[in-house]
Amino acid sequence: MASRPKISGIQKQVLALYRGFLRTARLKAPEERRRIESVVSAEFRDNARNVDRRNFVYIEYLLRRGKRQLEQLKNPDITGLATLEVKK
Amino acid sequence: MAAAALRPAILRRIRLSPSPSLPFAASAAAASHPHALVRWLARPMSSHDAHLTREEVVDRVLDVLKSHPKVDPSKVTPEAHFEKDLGLDSLDTVEVVMAIEEEFKLEIPDKEADKIDSLPLAIEYVANHPMAG
Repeated sequence: MASRPKISGIQKQVLALYRGFLRTARLKAPEERRRIESVVSAEFRDNARNVDRRNFVYIEYLLRRGKRQLEQLKNPDITGLATLEVKK
Repeated sequence: MAAAALRPAILRRIRLSPSPSLPFAASAAAASHPHALVRWLARPMSSHDAHLTREEVVDRVLDVLKSHPKVDPSKVTPEAHFEKDLGLDSLDTVEVVMAIEEEFKLEIPDKEADKIDSLPLAIEYVANHPMAG
């Protein structure tokens, strides 16, 4: 990538989702917050590294899955992240 | 003493109109200080009495950047670009902007946050935000 490409729509959605997770993490207890942040950050970075950026179908799938998980995490009763760790 | 004696007499005669008290106080103040009303009207609509100085904003934004784990503190300047100068990727940038939000007790909407990709833009945003604290 010689010149920096403009941020695409799908990339914006990914970043907005990441932001959503970090915002939601703030609402949890400090200990929990740190754990959520590290798991979420690892998940996003892992996918950023390993998912082909042209594989829109898969990225869309990940986005949908992430949004669903975020909705669950927003529930104040939910503190765990087990669903996020199910992978591979 | 004389004033104390006069007080009930005066109070008995004064009739306050049921207008809101703030403009009344302001216009009363304006009588003695001609610029008071102007100043009162011109003050920013903020819950904070003293707005942040630009210097303070710059210092605190620099500190936030320096404390991000991926940033080399020696590279942080008020002109730095997150990606080109500090080597941050888009996910790091989200983290940094969120940390700035937290530092200044703001919530930056996604549309605005997406545009902030450098220290000058971050400083500009915070300095112009009336609620930054």
